[in-house]
Order: sequence, then C-alpha cells, then structure tokens
Amino acid sequence: MPTLLELQNAVFRAVVSRDAAELETHIARSELAPADPIEVYRNNFFASLTNALRLSYPAVQRLVGEEFFDAVAEGFIEAQPPQSAYLNAYGEGFADYLAAFPAAASLAYLPDVARLEWTVNRALHAPDARALEPADFAAMAGILPDQLVLVPHPSIGLLRFSQPIEEIWRAVLVQDDERLNAIDRAAGPEFVLVERSASGLEVSRLDEAEWRFTAALCTGEAFAAAAEAVSELDVAQALARHFAAGRFTGFHRKPSAS
Amino acid sequence: MTMARQLCPPWPAASDAERSPIPAKPGIGLRFPHHRIVAETRPDIAWFEVHTENYMGGGTPLRYLDDIRRDYPISLHGVGLSLGSAEGIDSNHLKRTADVIARVQPGLVSEHLSWSMVCGTYLADLLPLPMTEEALEIVCRHVDQVQSALGRCLLIENPSSYLQFKHSTIPEWEFLAAIASRTGCGILCDVNNVYVSACNHGWDASAYLAALPQDAIGEIHLAGHAIKDIGGRILRIDDHGSRVSPAVWDLYAEALSRFGQVPTLIEWDTNIPDFEVLRDEAERAARVMESAKTGAIDADAA
Repeated sequence: MPTLLELQNAVFRAVVSRDAAELETHIARSELAPADPIEVYRNNFFASLTNALRLSYPAVQRLVGEEFFDAVAEGFIEAQPPQSAYLNAYGEGFADYLAAFPAAASLAYLPDVARLEWTVNRALHAPDARALEPADFAAMAGILPDQLVLVPHPSIGLLRFSQPIEEIWRAVLVQDDERLNAIDRAAGPEFVLVERSASGLEVSRLDEAEWRFTAALCTGEAFAAAAEAVSELDVAQALARHFAAGRFTGFHRKPSAS
Repeated sequence: MTMARQLCPPWPAASDAERSPIPAKPGIGLRFPHHRIVAETRPDIAWFEVHTENYMGGGTPLRYLDDIRRDYPISLHGVGLSLGSAEGIDSNHLKRTADVIARVQPGLVSEHLSWSMVCGTYLADLLPLPMTEEALEIVCRHVDQVQSALGRCLLIENPSSYLQFKHSTIPEWEFLAAIASRTGCGILCDVNNVYVSACNHGWDASAYLAALPQDAIGEIHLAGHAIKDIGGRILRIDDHGSRVSPAVWDLYAEALSRFGQVPTLIEWDTNIPDFEVLRDEAERAARVMESAKTGAIDADAA
C-alpha cells in the first residue's frame, strides 16, 4: 500500500510525464480500464494550462495558429509545469522555450512578441499601488538628487527590441495583415514601456534616452546618476511626465557611497 | 477538544454580521465575462461566489469585485490550497488567500476535498485522494492550519472523481463527516458532484446525502456535467459546461428536504453562456427551494 506521498508522486508521473505504470496498479477495478480515467486527468491538466497560456499569449497564438500553439504549449507545460496555484503567474519561460523550439525558427521575432505579451500579462495582474501625489513631493525635495531613489509602480515593464516588435504585436492583435506586411522588419531598435494606468493597460514606445532614464530609475539607480547618463534628455520634464502618469509609488534615501 | 474546534464551532454558529452572511437563497458563480453586466445592471440576485484565485492580482478584476461587493454578499471559493497534499500547504498561496479575504470580507470561504500540488508542481485539477486514515489525518491537519491562519471556518466541498484507489478504506461520505467533526469545518455539498461520483462508482447518491451531518452543510453547489462514452462505458465528467441535469435537480430537492434551506450556487465554467441563462437556473433553484419549504410544512402538519 503506497503512502499518500508515494501515490501523489505516481500521479505526477502519470499526468505530467505520461508514465502511468505504477499508478495503474493502485486503481480499483471498475468497468473502465485503469488507463481511461488517468487519461481524463491528464487531458484536464494539459487543457487547463494550455488555456492559461492562450490567455497570456494571444498574439503568439495568432502568429503560429491554434494547432501549432497547442503542440508547443504541450511541450512547454511538460518541461515547465506551474509551481503554484496562482496561474496568472504561469508561463514566464514561454518566450525562451519558443526561442529554442526548432519548428518556430522561421518566425525570428516570435520569442520577442512572447516577451512583450508576458510583460503585458504581468502588468495586467500586478498588485495595485498608490501613485505619488503632490503632497509627497515636499518630503522628496528634502533628499539630495544623488541619494533619491524612486519606487516604480509594480505594473511597469521596460523592453528593448532590435526589431519593431510592438508594431508587429499591435497589427497581429487587430488581425490587420496588410499593416503587418507593411512593417519594415529591419527598422531600428524599439524601446517599449508597458504599464497599467487608471484607464487600463498602456503600451508605448519611448525614445532611447527617455527609455534609458526610466529604466535606470526603475532599477533603483539614484536620480542624479540616472540623469547624468542621458545628458541629451530634459530630465525634469521627463520626471514630471512620469509623476503625472503615476509611474512611481514611493521613494527613499540611498546612503551615500562616499 | 482541539484548538481549531474552539476557534471554529460547528457551522453555522460562526455567522458574523459584519461579513454580510450569505442568505439561504440561490446565488450565481460570477465569472469575468459577466463582470460588466452585473456591475452596470445590478441584477436581482441574492449573492455571488467567485474563485479566490481570480482576484489575487490587482487591476480590473479587483476593481469590479470591489464595486459589486458594495451591493452583494460575496462567497470566496478557492481551488488552489490543495488541502490533501502530503507535502503540506503552500504558505505563499495561503497568504494570497488571506489577502483576498481581508479585502473582500466574504460571507463564506470554501475549498475542496482534493489535492493539486506534488513535487512543488501545481497539477491544475482537483485530484482525488485515497480514502485512508493517513489521508484523513493530513487533510484534517491542513484544515486546522488554514482555519487558524485565516481565523475563520472553511466549508469543504465533496469532489467529483473518475477513479477510486484500491487501498481506500473509508467511504467518501464518512471521510467528509470525519473532517467536519474533527476540525469543526462545514461541508459544501456539491449535489452535481455527488451525482457524478455516485454514477461513476456505483454508489447510492441518496445514501451519500443521508450520511452527511445535516448541521454541517453550509452551502450547496449545482452545475452541469458532461457524459463521455469510453468504448461503450459511460464516464460522467464534472465540466460545469451545461445546465443542471434533471437527475441532479431531483437530487437537489432531496438534499433540501434533508438539510433544510441552504445557500445554493449555480456554477458554470466551460462555454460560459449569457448571464440570463444563469439567472434562469437560479430561478429554477428558487422554485425548488420554495417547494421544499412547503414540503417541510406539509410534513410537519402530517
């Protein structure tokens, strides 16, 4: 008689790894062959997780078609099954999995479209946070620029692509083939900001300097250091835009390095 | 007497006015496609139940729920705590659950007699347990742990299952009754699940209902199921993808005659129909509740 843990390990092997030999020996006799109900549980597992991936990666699915998507999703689910019951957080590794998937190699931009979709998914489900308000700025003014560190809203994601991925993603989502075909794939790098504002999800393109400044602030660099690296940018204006858009939710003083 | 029993007296003694208790009327399982129609039209429905896991992030879903919560009692139904896992409860998931409860202040909180986590992997399904003393002890320990962490009673739902294990020694109805008596939790009696499992395993559905402790029943679930033909053998699958079947309506009337008036939920999760269809099912449940009431009075008069 198996312990509960032994039995649950046998179910794992039967469902995820498709090896039901041990589990079948523990199933009581019924009108069905032991393999039949196991197949029902296995199908439930792959179907519900494929559905979760579909919800997070609609553009990838449109680009490759449903059948191909299901096949690649099945391989991904088997290789990287979810580690928690919070399925909104499931599927982060899908872009890298696609990049290593030989049959997807003909669509070179596919993994980057998946990266953008994952960042969008993260933004949609990120926790709520209160943006900095004018009343907070007085306290912030007391901190020297080389010590001022800002806390970004949890929904913010910054991506840098060598191809026009954001343009491709938009054209795919509205199913506009003409627009998709007209995109110059060789068009230079794209600097993308993903965020959830009061009015919903926003995906926008920034110029390179503003993107680098924003990325530096969002990764915890002090304001002065972030500003120094982009001398061509009017950082006061850029910061005002960030505050107006509610992109920062807190701040603290970074101890001086000297 | 255990600590958990003191914390959690037998249902329904734990009612708390601040939590807008769930009324003994039909409610509807609220899913994303119906957020807007419910928020905008405020339909005449007594209460709603949502899946706890769908509101663990921020953004739009939580905004809708906050809004709907202002006018309706809400019940939280979890699918991810995996009370039957030998490896224990995922403390991060328990924390996420506690956070949603703190925000929503639900009238009821429920989970399943099943398991989903092993080897640190979530198997995305409500998997059946072997009905053994070992499993019973593990489930009771986890129910105690969750009730203590949340500071409130759980309702535990009977599962639908497609197989049984050779080494099971306890009938499922006795297993449920034992959890309720050992931990003080309540029972969410899913009448469709009783029917599905009874058909799949050759149990007597009426005897199942009769064996459940009447005063522990805090809620009833109703849903549709699918019929799968496997080489001429029928397997009933709990897919929540259709109207409640006639046989389950009959069993529901029987459940009400045993348990009295209990909050009753219409669930639909696959191929979700227009809201009107759910409302129609809820109205039918209301009619069954009404005739059960009359039946009870007749029985007293007789």
